[in-house]
Amino acid sequence: MVGRKVGIVGAGFVGATAAYSLTMHGTCHEVVLYDIASDLAMGKAIDIGQSTSYSPQGTIVTAATDASDLKDCDVVVITAGVPRKGDMTREDLLMINAKIMKDVVTNVMKYSPNAIILCVSNPLDVMTYVIHKMTGWDRRRIIGMAGALDSARMAYQIHKKVGYGSGQIKAIVIGDHGQNMIPLPEISTVGGVPLTQIISKDEMQEIIAKTKEGGAEIVKHLGTSAYYAPGRSVAVMVEAILDDSRIVIASSVLLDGEYGYKDVTVGVPIVLGAKGIEKIIELEFDDETQKKFDTSVASITEGIDVLKENNFFSE
Amino acid sequence: MPKGKKVTVIGTGNFGSTVAFILAMNGTCHNVILRGRNIDMARGKALDMSQAANAARQHTVVRAATEAKDIAGSDVVVITAGAARSPGMSRDDLLIKNANIVRDYAKEIKEFAPEAVVVVVSNPLDVMTHVVLQETGFPRERVLGMAGILDSARMAHFIFEKLNYGAGQIRATVMGGHGDTMVPLPKFTTVAGVPIQDVLSQDEIDEIIEKTKNGGAQIVNLLGDGSAYYAPAKSTVVMVDAILKDMNQIHSCAVSLDGEYGYSNVVSGVPTMIGANGAEKIIEMTLSESQAKRFSKSVASVKDMVTTLEDLNFFDK
Repeated sequence: MVGRKVGIVGAGFVGATAAYSLTMHGTCHEVVLYDIASDLAMGKAIDIGQSTSYSPQGTIVTAATDASDLKDCDVVVITAGVPRKGDMTREDLLMINAKIMKDVVTNVMKYSPNAIILCVSNPLDVMTYVIHKMTGWDRRRIIGMAGALDSARMAYQIHKKVGYGSGQIKAIVIGDHGQNMIPLPEISTVGGVPLTQIISKDEMQEIIAKTKEGGAEIVKHLGTSAYYAPGRSVAVMVEAILDDSRIVIASSVLLDGEYGYKDVTVGVPIVLGAKGIEKIIELEFDDETQKKFDTSVASITEGIDVLKENNFFSE
Repeated sequence: MPKGKKVTVIGTGNFGSTVAFILAMNGTCHNVILRGRNIDMARGKALDMSQAANAARQHTVVRAATEAKDIAGSDVVVITAGAARSPGMSRDDLLIKNANIVRDYAKEIKEFAPEAVVVVVSNPLDVMTHVVLQETGFPRERVLGMAGILDSARMAHFIFEKLNYGAGQIRATVMGGHGDTMVPLPKFTTVAGVPIQDVLSQDEIDEIIEKTKNGGAQIVNLLGDGSAYYAPAKSTVVMVDAILKDMNQIHSCAVSLDGEYGYSNVVSGVPTMIGANGAEKIIEMTLSESQAKRFSKSVASVKDMVTTLEDLNFFDK
């Protein structure tokens, strides 16, 4: 592995915060920020680069002036895409962002053909699917970041509810990165103590509801999407890949028979290491969770079908 | 007014030294005091560690206590003093010997650091925690034994050996006494939130539990001279951190029960919320019948040892 270089496509808030987190932790030797708004990428790269005087590794941060600067990245994080605007339908948004993915992926395939791709663009599960189809790569090398963030948001809600155990809460959220996500409080723990021993069923329902609303709640306050927790969640996954630390983390991956599904991307617990997906962990579901999982997968398939109906994959 | 934190480590053997070293490397507190019988040894190690802190660009200063009053003003006192378990020696053999050593230091703490939170790691752990509690007369919140964190860490390691992934993310829950009588709770044990029962068979889990129970003895036998200290020291620092930073985190700690789980006036390992005041809250879990049975056996073994000390009029002196 040369240089442990990470490329970040999209220098918006999420991309830049991921770059900053990687730099402050000294995770890699080099970070390249790429954005079609090249001044934005340049300004942020300079600012982050100047902060590395106080970072552990003196990580070098640069802006790509051309797609070819994404050469030989070990990991490429894709945060590019537009947010949904007033008059845009969900279908419009899907088509616009899928086309952006197509352009980005062409460059990644050309300049970093051995990279592992972390997708952060929304709608997350569908965009991860698009990257799979566009690259045709081994499914282990394309991973959608969603469960890491949703699980962190759930842990936050649990701490707010119980009032202790900050930093010790293990929560897990599977399914899609949207309204049908499935937080699993019944297997969450606080410092090893099961949540079921600490709070009531009603309180667990409240945590589920608040976790699902996690992103929207921040949009309500900021008028724009969150980026600190998303940026940090991206960095944690990049660290796991570069360090080959083989952590268990919920991520959106292409299923091939696991959980009874094929050819669809959805969030499930995986083992993340140097090869990307080292293993997909199959949880045992009760009937209720299975039903929720089916609904969640159906909502993703619906998005994929929109692209198919618009002949996106046959162009 | 905020002031720098001070931690005293009693006992300058491998265990105590490693605790002090981690504190210095992490800059957890501004002052570390090493207190032991061999003052030159304490001085030598303190100098070495203070110099290491400079190399690590940390602010922590390590000093040796030349007399008992040097521990004054400690926020936390860690008691590691006591004879180590040599191969073939049972925990019970250590009982009288260590009870006397620990009692002497408890007297020092009562006199010179009456506000401190005391973390006991001397063995047999649960009984030594009881001895410190009796001797100092401190409220039970301020006397905690370190055992569950170590047993959890050992169990997590053995789980990792089986899985070959999830290192650092495994949260094993262990209750009860330290070592042979510990009560592992595999139902509440997860890898980054995934229950181990979804990734391991019952046979594999049973094997892990056996290995965990023998975890300390395994290392004693391999080292030949002395017992483990890296994992025990790090586990101790986890508690010190939680106290100094008022973290309100949940760890399995040995505390004196006062009605919780149906027991009183006996020390055993239970999930405890640790903050600036020590054991701020004890979490009562609903135990299954077999878990409750194992826990009662564990508590009984601690009571037996306390009775041994009582029969020798230890607490009357």
